[in-house]
This record gives sequence, C-alpha cells and structure tokens, in this order.
Amino acid sequence: MLIKTPAEGLYDELFDPNNRVRPHYRTLENWLINSDEALIAEKRREANVLFQRLGITFNVYGQDEGTDRLIPFDLIPRVISAADWQKLQSGLRQRVNALNRFLHDIYHNFDIVKAGVINAEQVFANPQYQPGMQNLKLPRNLYSHIAGIDLIRHSDGDFYVLEDNLRCPSGVSYMLENRRMMMRLFPELFAQAAVAPVDHYPALLGETLRAASLNPNPTVAVLTPGRFNSAYFEHAFLARQMGVELVEGADLFVRKNRVYMKTTVGPQEVDVIYRRVDDDFLDPLSGNPQSMLGVPGLYGAYRSGNVVLANAMGTGVADDKSIYPYVPDMIRFYLSEEPILKNVPTWQCRKPKDLKYVLEHLPELVVKEAQGAGGYGMLIGPRATKKELSHFTDLLKAKPHHYIAQPTLSLSTCPTFVEEGVAPRHLDLRPFVLSGKKVQMVPGGLTRVALEEGSLVVNSSQGGGTKDTWVLEDDQC
Amino acid sequence: MLSRAASSLFWMARYLERAETQARLLDVSLTMALIDVPEDREEQLSVPLLVTGTEADFAELYGDITPQNLIDFMLLDDRHPASVFNIIQSARDNALQVRGNLSADVWDSINLSWMEMKELRKTGVTESNASQIFDWTRARSHIFRGAAYGTLLRTDAFHFLRLGTFIERADTTARVLDIRHKMASASQDEHATRSFFEWTALLHSLAAFEAYQQIYGHNILPINVAELLILELDVPRSLHACLREIVALLEQVENGEARKARRMANSLFANIHYGDRDYIAERGLHEYLTDFLERIQAIAGQIQKDYMGWQA
Repeated sequence: MLIKTPAEGLYDELFDPNNRVRPHYRTLENWLINSDEALIAEKRREANVLFQRLGITFNVYGQDEGTDRLIPFDLIPRVISAADWQKLQSGLRQRVNALNRFLHDIYHNFDIVKAGVINAEQVFANPQYQPGMQNLKLPRNLYSHIAGIDLIRHSDGDFYVLEDNLRCPSGVSYMLENRRMMMRLFPELFAQAAVAPVDHYPALLGETLRAASLNPNPTVAVLTPGRFNSAYFEHAFLARQMGVELVEGADLFVRKNRVYMKTTVGPQEVDVIYRRVDDDFLDPLSGNPQSMLGVPGLYGAYRSGNVVLANAMGTGVADDKSIYPYVPDMIRFYLSEEPILKNVPTWQCRKPKDLKYVLEHLPELVVKEAQGAGGYGMLIGPRATKKELSHFTDLLKAKPHHYIAQPTLSLSTCPTFVEEGVAPRHLDLRPFVLSGKKVQMVPGGLTRVALEEGSLVVNSSQGGGTKDTWVLEDDQC
Repeated sequence: MLSRAASSLFWMARYLERAETQARLLDVSLTMALIDVPEDREEQLSVPLLVTGTEADFAELYGDITPQNLIDFMLLDDRHPASVFNIIQSARDNALQVRGNLSADVWDSINLSWMEMKELRKTGVTESNASQIFDWTRARSHIFRGAAYGTLLRTDAFHFLRLGTFIERADTTARVLDIRHKMASASQDEHATRSFFEWTALLHSLAAFEAYQQIYGHNILPINVAELLILELDVPRSLHACLREIVALLEQVENGEARKARRMANSLFANIHYGDRDYIAERGLHEYLTDFLERIQAIAGQIQKDYMGWQA
C-alpha cells in the first residue's frame, strides 16, 4: 500500500523531515507497503466484528438497541522508540509524584501557598477544592492512584503535557484490547518487532489498589455508575481481570461508618473502592442529593478512614487548567528537580497582562475554559471565523478568570487508514500512571487519533479513533 | 458473590433455557400441525401459547392462529415480552450486568446470539426457513451450556447460573407434560393414531423421543411417558433429574445449609425420588403436576429470597 507523506512543518511519527522512514518504524513501514489493500480491508472488517462481539460498545442512552457504537480502531500502530519511552517514563513518574505531593499539601499544610508559589485564591476558591478533605489522613498520602496524562508531540519533536487527568481517567481498556486485537489480526508482525507487553496492567492496578489500604489483605471493589455508562465495558473488564467485584451504588451500604457489599452470604466489608463515579455523585448525603449512583453515608465512612477511595475525593483541583501552568513549579518546589516533561506555555487570562496578550494574539492561540473537558467550549484561533473570534473576545473580557490560552500546537501525525488510503492524521497519547508502594506504568498508553483530515480534536466524543501503541523494547531491531 | 450478580446469573440462565424451550415447542407444533387433520390444526398450533400462557396476548396482537403469525409472535415480536427475541435480549442484559462474573467464552456465546438475533429479525422468518432458525436456537443454547460448563469456575456464579437452568427446565417439563397430556387424553378414545401423535409431539418437545424408544420401545403408553418425564433419572429433562441437580447445587452454594430453599428442594426431591408410577396414576397426572408446579415456583421464589433479596 502507498503511504501518503505528511505536510511540511509538522512532526510525523513515521517520516522524518526528508520523508525518510524513522528507524523505529522500519518494520512497520515494510509491512505496510507490502500489505495488500484487500487484505487490510478484510482485517478492518474482522476487527469491527470482534469488537462488537467483545461488547466494547458505547451504549447510547435512551436509543434503540441498534445504536451500540464502536470507537473507530485504526490498524496502523503508533510506535514509540525505547529512548523516547525512557524519558517519558521518568517524566511521568516525576510529574505524578509532584501532583500527589501537591494534593496532600493543599489539604494539610499549605506549604506551596505559604511559599507564594501559587496564590491562595487559585487553590481554595477553585470549585474542585473539597474543604472536607482537609486534614484527612490517607494511606501513603496518595490521592491520585490512577492518573492519565495527556501528551502530544509538537513540531519540535518534543513531547508536551497537554492535560493531567487525576479524577477517573478512562481508556485503559482500549489500550489493552487494541493490543489484543492487533496480536490476533497480525501475529506475524509481533514476531518481527520487539514490542513491550502491556497486558500486565490489570495486575499492576490490582497491586496499586491493594497498596492503597493499610489492611494487608484488603477487599477491593470497582464502583461503576452502571451499564448505561459509556465506559461500563472498561469497568467490567478491569474488575474481571483483577478478580474483584464490580459493584453499583445499590450493591453497597454503610453501617457504623463501614462499607459493605450485599452478597449471597450476607454483608461483606469493602476496604478499597476503585470508583468510576464522580466526586459529586458518590454520596447523596454529602454531594448531589439526586444521585442514584452513590452510597448514602459513604463520605462519612471515608472520613472515618474505614474505606479508601481510589482516586481520592478532591483531586480535581490539581488537574484543572488554571492549576496546570504551575505543575513545573510544583516539581521544583516539592522534588527540587527540573521538570523532565514540558508544559505548554499558558496565558492565564485572569492576569491582566496575560489577558492583554491573548486579546492581541487571539487568531494564533487556542483558548480553553479553565474547567472544561472533552474538547467542548474551546476556540482554535487559526481555524476560527471572525464571528467566533469576536464572540470569544467578548467572553474573555466578561469572564477572564474562566479562560486560559495556549499557542496552537501542531500535534504530530501518523499514517492512518482513511477513505482514500493511508494518510497522516493528528494524534495524542495518554499513558496511565499508577501510584501505590511505588509509581509504576506499563510501557504504552492510549493513542487517540483525529480521523478528519487536519483535525486536531482527538476526543472520541468528537469522532476520534484509537490505535494500538507500541513501545519498542530495543531500538536496534 | 454479590446478590445482584447472583440474581442476574440465575435469570440469564432461565431466559436462555426458555429461548430453547420456546423454539422446541414451536418447532413441534408447526410440524404436528402439518400431520394433523385440518380441523385440528389450530388446536395443535395453540400449544405453545397454552404452555407459555400467552393466548390472550396473542389474540390481542394477531387474532388468527396461523403458522406465520405464530412464528412472528413467538420468535421475533418485540411487543411480546416472551418472544425469543426479547428473551435473548433479556438474557444479554443480565449477562451485561454480570460481565465481571462471566468467562469471555460465556459472554461471547450470549452476545453473539444477541447480535445474530438482531440480524435475524431484520431478515425475518417464514415457514420455509423456520426450521433453520429452530436449529440455530438449539445450537446457540448448546454453545452457551458448553461454554458455561467448560469455562466457568465452580464458584457460586456457576451454581446460581445452573440453578436458573434447572428451575426453568423443571417448570417447562411439568407444563408441557400437563398440556399435552390433556390434549392426548381428550383424543385417546376417539382416535388412537391421533393420541399417538400427541405423545410423540410431547416427547419431541422435551427432546426425549429417542429416550422413550430406547427404554419402552415403540408402543407409546401415557403412563410410560409420565414415568419417563417425571421419574426417570437418566432423562436430562425429567423432573427427577432437574430436582437432583437443584438439590446438589443448593448444597454447594456457600452458606446453603442454613437456608429454607434447600429444605424445600430436598423435600420435593424426596417426593419424586421415592414416588412411583402407581402413585402418579392414583393421584392423577394433572393434580400431580399442578402440585409440582406450585412447589417448584415456591422454591424459585425462596432461592431469590434467601440469596438475592436485600430489600431494605
């Protein structure tokens, strides 16, 4: 098959600027150009059927059963060299360490605020800050046991952290199932390339969750909002792989500040809850009273230290876009190290000087809501119409503290199957970082790809797809 | 295990067993209707409705009892809660609830049935391709049972799943036997051939025709049929065989000794185990089966109360 070469000025994962194949892509490229188009088309159909059978489908709430949707899966893997991964791994470890230290600090001693690195208002007036978490002692001082860090590769070839996800990051099941799918469809490929395995992730996750409790032999459960949640497949998948119960709010109850599961042999106490339910819905008594997903009294049990929540409550304050610019400072402050991973330069519109710059350079910048997620409510300056620009100018002037702005980054591209053949498409990377007795991760992550030509939005809710992510064990072969 | 999961597994298995029964009943009725004299065709076709207690629903939705109407109603109609389409959907919904307790193979067997069922519904089923669909339904049921038997850990998840299968099966055998027996006795005096067909149909619906031939030979006597389907331990769909499984499963379920369901099941088992054909004949088959149905339903209810109920 013919591979379309990338546009100039972008970083392409496969081609170098002279359109030569990068060394760590040679095996894959060789396979691609020797692959028959009809065979690949057949494999794509096979993959679709297999994913349907696995049930990795999005349930679209309130719609007919015919609408079980799949996130598009692209057959061409994204490859990361061993050298790049080494650096990413140290950088991720460092970053997540600092973020956990920060969370502990802002719920206990406030050192970073006292030292003037971050001002108090930024932290305490943040809607994600949970005053109730103050002085609550958590085992190992861990808050974000499972973190998903979104990275992109810029045209300078460096990885940048775009966003930290410290609440309920999802997508890890795609990392695992995409790999399984590739091994099933193209076993011969794996015989040629030394791809680092990822399938021990559930084992590491289980280890991490057990380490989150002081109980040496804790009972762990995965709490899901239920089968109508778009990530239900993942919740069930992880519970099964770890050999723990998958519970819904109604399967749990609290008695004397202890949490129990309703089982066939009576109540069974739960020590660690890997919760995939948002803070506000965990306990109708302390959060959203309408919540049917939570467990009345859970917050009290948590405050009493009888149950561990992973992730902890109140982690959202640290992955907020208004806190994001300070992460490099946190690394320096808590770890006395220089940040290994780059942050995207960020203008904080609440600062008059920054706002002035943003308003003057709006057509070049990306403007995002400080609290937003999922690719909604943002302005991509170079793509925006005059009307959109003037609309955002008004918004920025009216509520500057709601927004941040960043330069428009050119996400790297990677060859992807599209209608007209194989062409470059933009992608990002979300590795999953586990913090327990130590900080661990499997070599890889979720690669999301924007399937529309030129699009920079990779979110699945906006038509993005996924790829298998290969970290090579050795760049020499 | 979680009470909710136990309940989902129990119902999932009941639904899958029911889908198979439904297909067998319909298959036999359609075939018998072809053999039967024209004036009795309708009665023959109505058997699946009688067994499942859905005559009124059918009358409201379709009116005329024709083979095609029956096929649509029993197999594909999403307005009919007990159509095979809806039953498989319910089974799949329950399976989804307990994804975490199912092996990949068991999940795949159910999910694939559901996917294929959806396709089937799009293409439709007529009298001419109905037998393929009946074969398909039976085969899907076998695959599910094989996957469950061959890949599930022998934990309570397995026990509750199998309990669902055997409760449903015992219930079905008793119902089918009761209805067919009524029809056969009615025709016994007037037409010996007709009666023979009724009993044959009954044995086919419960996959026990060959077993009968082996044990009793070609001469089909009502009391032999009753004995076979109630007392014969070696016939997989006999009441005796189902109860033996139910009792054994309840004994294996964790903490089972303290529960009432186990005592009730043991008592019913003993009743069959130490019963004989004379007792059944004396009591009257219909009365015997009515009593059995009440007791098996009470056991099903008690299992749910003992292990799955957490109503606050």
